[in-house]
Amino acid sequence: MQPIKPLADIVVPDPKSDEVYETRVLDRSFRFTGLKALLGAADISKAGDRIAGLAASDDVTREAARQALSGLTLQHLYDRPLTDDHGRVDAVMRVNYDIDLRAFVSIAKMSLGALKDHLLRCPPAEVMRVGSALTGVMAAALVKLLDVHEMVLVARKARRSAKARTMLGLPGTLSSRLQPNHPSDNLDGITMLVYAGLSMGGGDQLIGVNPAIDTVDNVGALLRHLDMLRSSTGAPSQICVLSHVKTQLACLERGDPVEILFQSLAGTDCTLTEEFDVTVDLLDQAYVAMGQRGPLRGVADAWMYFETGQGSELTYGKHNGMDMAVCEGLCYGLARRYDPFMVNNVTGFIGPETHCDNHEMIVSNLQDHCMGKLMGLPMGMAPCYTLHSKITLEGQQMATQLLTAAGSNYYMDVYLHTDRMLAYFDTSGHDNQTLREVHGLRPAPEFLRWAVERGIFVEGSDGAVLRGPQWGNPRAFCKSDVELQRLLESLPAAHGLENAGPRPADRVSRAMRANLAVGREAVYADLRLDVIAGIPFRSIRTDAKNREEHLNDPELGARLADEVRSQLRAEHNDVQIVVSDGLSAEAIHHNVPSLLPVLLDGLRSRQCKIGQPILAPFGRVKLAEAIGDALEAKLTLVLIGERPGGDALASRSMSAYFAYRLDEHGVRTEAAHFSGNPEVRYEYSVVSNIYAGGLPPIEAGSVVAEKVMQILTHKAAGNRLERLLSRKASANDQDR
Amino acid sequence: MDQAAVHLIGLDFGSTTSSVLVAKARIGHHGLTGRMTLEAPQVIYRPEPVFTPFRGTDIDDVAIEALLDRWLGASGLAAPDFFAGGTIITGLAALRDNAAILARAVGARIGEGVVATAADPCLESWLAFMGSCSMLSRVHADRAVLNLDIGGGTTNPALGRNGAVTATGCHYVGARHFQVQPGSYRLTAMSEHGRALLHALGIVRKIGEELSQTHLEAILDWYIAALEAIVQGDRAFFATPVGRMHEQVAFPGAKDAAVTFSGGVGELLYRRATGEPMPSTTHFGDLGIDLAERIATSPRLSRDLRNLVPEQRGRATVYGLALHSTEVSGATLCLPDGGALPLRDLPIVARLSMNADAATIDAAVALARRHARGACIQVLGVAAVHEHVKLLGERFEKALGSHPSCDHTLVLLLEANVGKTLGNYATSWGKMPNGLIVLDEMPDRQAHFANLGRMRDGVVPVAFYGMY
Repeated sequence: MQPIKPLADIVVPDPKSDEVYETRVLDRSFRFTGLKALLGAADISKAGDRIAGLAASDDVTREAARQALSGLTLQHLYDRPLTDDHGRVDAVMRVNYDIDLRAFVSIAKMSLGALKDHLLRCPPAEVMRVGSALTGVMAAALVKLLDVHEMVLVARKARRSAKARTMLGLPGTLSSRLQPNHPSDNLDGITMLVYAGLSMGGGDQLIGVNPAIDTVDNVGALLRHLDMLRSSTGAPSQICVLSHVKTQLACLERGDPVEILFQSLAGTDCTLTEEFDVTVDLLDQAYVAMGQRGPLRGVADAWMYFETGQGSELTYGKHNGMDMAVCEGLCYGLARRYDPFMVNNVTGFIGPETHCDNHEMIVSNLQDHCMGKLMGLPMGMAPCYTLHSKITLEGQQMATQLLTAAGSNYYMDVYLHTDRMLAYFDTSGHDNQTLREVHGLRPAPEFLRWAVERGIFVEGSDGAVLRGPQWGNPRAFCKSDVELQRLLESLPAAHGLENAGPRPADRVSRAMRANLAVGREAVYADLRLDVIAGIPFRSIRTDAKNREEHLNDPELGARLADEVRSQLRAEHNDVQIVVSDGLSAEAIHHNVPSLLPVLLDGLRSRQCKIGQPILAPFGRVKLAEAIGDALEAKLTLVLIGERPGGDALASRSMSAYFAYRLDEHGVRTEAAHFSGNPEVRYEYSVVSNIYAGGLPPIEAGSVVAEKVMQILTHKAAGNRLERLLSRKASANDQDR
Repeated sequence: MDQAAVHLIGLDFGSTTSSVLVAKARIGHHGLTGRMTLEAPQVIYRPEPVFTPFRGTDIDDVAIEALLDRWLGASGLAAPDFFAGGTIITGLAALRDNAAILARAVGARIGEGVVATAADPCLESWLAFMGSCSMLSRVHADRAVLNLDIGGGTTNPALGRNGAVTATGCHYVGARHFQVQPGSYRLTAMSEHGRALLHALGIVRKIGEELSQTHLEAILDWYIAALEAIVQGDRAFFATPVGRMHEQVAFPGAKDAAVTFSGGVGELLYRRATGEPMPSTTHFGDLGIDLAERIATSPRLSRDLRNLVPEQRGRATVYGLALHSTEVSGATLCLPDGGALPLRDLPIVARLSMNADAATIDAAVALARRHARGACIQVLGVAAVHEHVKLLGERFEKALGSHPSCDHTLVLLLEANVGKTLGNYATSWGKMPNGLIVLDEMPDRQAHFANLGRMRDGVVPVAFYGMY
């Protein structure tokens, strides 16, 4: 087990005040104040950095920044640790300074430009040596100077393998992490996806489920199920349930098979602790616990699994003024501390507020892969997207071709691209096999032997690995057609099992792409007033002036436009209903006309004072607070279209968010005590999945009306309300 | 896995053997349909069948109680652990007081949530199909599948397509109409159907005498012809006096249907088909082994024996009882007082559409009010628009007001997922407590009676019996 250096023993120079970096391009002068600004301007323009005000305004400014950056020595970067918003070096930054100082001394005087040339000229061993001397900030600074070919070349030299049951990252291999996520953690559905993935030669890296519910009991049950599937199929791999590290440690304590320990990382300590509820100390403890008690101790050389991706710090507003690539580099510096088995990059997952199109996503992925590999990490890549960005399947496929050329260790295997739980789109088993065939790659050796025995692959006389007779046939893992049928019936968005070579058969692709198209159309559809014409709405505007702004900056849709805010007056109603397209106008068209009459009937039957319903195009959930504050309604109910996923019908899914305003002193005190947040102003409940395939809108009208009455009666929402209701139910049971 | 794990039990008491099956499943939304369902069933206890204990023709109540205690002890579960299930009592076990004794013993030990039904032949056929080959039928969605559940006393055919039963029947063709001394064909007992068959075949044999090979062939020939007639829909076969006597519920047949088997004889057939050793001559003291051997030689009956093998290979009824006897309501329902449940043996007095007019609803409610212990009305149709639901609710409210009752319970069983809203409109949003319970997402089971179990995790188990 790699020893962990105590945080206090890591030497970090004292922070320095910002310097001004000046440069000229022809007749234009440029000044960049502070390293953060310089680093931000030197990157390609990305949505997240634009929102943060860090991106260069034009190409010439960007090249000027790169020119200035290129001339800075590594020592210059070393001497200026970037600080948090309070001017302090946070724990993540400190960990990043745990580098090979002897190697650093040998390159300290190199400028970043010279380092770039050196890495392009030198052999792989020297790339790895240099990488061990770099902090995340240095790695990020470097990749901002590299073009696409250069990122591919440098990363390709920096191979990094890791061993658990299988040996991953060997030359000539490409592995996959099977991700059999199911929206309700249905074990049959998960089994179906595992069988489908294994049959396509997927899962040699890991079989890992993102749980829908992060409880010890549920995660433990999933772990045991995956363990059963792994052992019953005999597939040489390792398993993981990607819950919070605390949940996994609790599972480990009670003996569940936590073979690989997962956690999402962030590049700033405030994001890590406040949003991910994780500290460096906790990660240290987790690493040691797994080394001492993990079921793969003695088998695996590494057991930590981290997920990262550009933009998470920015979306939480906790990036400390650093751009997305720098934050990502800092994640890698933190990951390196634990000698991980795998690091998975999911840049593109968040949405258009960080990466709005293919170009931004592809370049960021190449940057991340290059940084991670250079810093000695076994990088797997998940170039992915959501339907409210402009990233496309084609862009994702271009990214994988480039990343495979760059030597990515593995990709995700999400069946037919569609993650049924997380409602985003990732690489598939078909993609992995396509890339293996195009680039002459094979799975991990232990897995390959098993797959050849099962007829999934055959080895040609020339050593080539070809698809075998059982490739893409999950029936081979089932006892009968009936078992396969039962498994299939538990899986949404399963458009067929037929294949054409390494690709899905055209019929399957057409169904899958049609679903994507319907979902995307829902995002870009305008609210059609004729559909909801029977409802006497008053219309308002948010700060998002158009769809582009709405999609790319979520904050705008949470604010009222100035002129609207100035016109709204306190009405003191019990309930204010707000209808917004959110991320699917189709959800409004298909649900509101049926739901709202039932809801209004229900509220009127209880003599609720109801404000005239508001229609707010381009809105977000948090708009509830702006409206609640302005109208001083007790409860603001936002009916809003959800982000479409891979199921066409589900692109019409709407949610009802109940924002209860804590305006009574005693109630607010109780809520503050309950939440631990003294500043709490609103409590939220939600009823989701309102659509024909989930909770039908007519029935949802009653469910929402009852929830409104519960909130108003108990003067509470969210978990506090549920606890009150639970106590009341227990008392009733005892009385009975 | 938001679903709660629940335990289910199936109990089958027949003329010859009795079986139990305990399964674990989860209540959750079906991955594709979104309906609440019992999913991911796992059989956790299924001992070998035992001989049903009789003293002469009367059920041995002491032995039955000991048997139930033994099964419960071995399963590691107690009465409160069971969410739902079913008990079916057939043949000799259903005669005279036997059924009541069995139902009492089951109720006392396993609880009121487990429904006991006797002499419900179409339910038995339906359960056998669901337990044996409903999934197989969905694999071959475009083929009709005909399941023959052949037990000691009866053959229960059920025809289905894509997992849904479309026709059921019942015939007195079974292994145990002629009971013999194991290892021989010396008669030890005959049913009235057995006697009639011998008479029709011109065979004169009494208890204590041996059936010759010629006699045996003649009996088995007739049984095979009867089974083929069931499959082919040959009504003429059952038009003869002896044929009529052997037909309890007529079955339309399906000439091109694939045929599967369940029941004790079905189990033997699949053992034979997979090359497993068969028990020795008349091992079970009846003609079941011989019947299975002869079915295997019938081209029509054995056509699909190897290529369409049901999951349970014969143990269908008890599996169907555990897994399919109970439907789960939707999670949004109208149930003003959970303490009103369970409700047993409620007649289903009417089947209405979502567009039913006021007069029809009034008549149905009036009929329901005549049943002192309460009654059910089914409302069919999955598509619903707001105006119809509101109107329907208001019509029910008016009808309930026209036929007031202070302690009568009316249960509406809705196919559409609009139970809470319909209930709200029918009770003026809870202001008019009129003894109304509305459960939704209830499929049309074409039954005469329903039993409602206690609510668990927001859903109510509903068992149907008295199938058409």
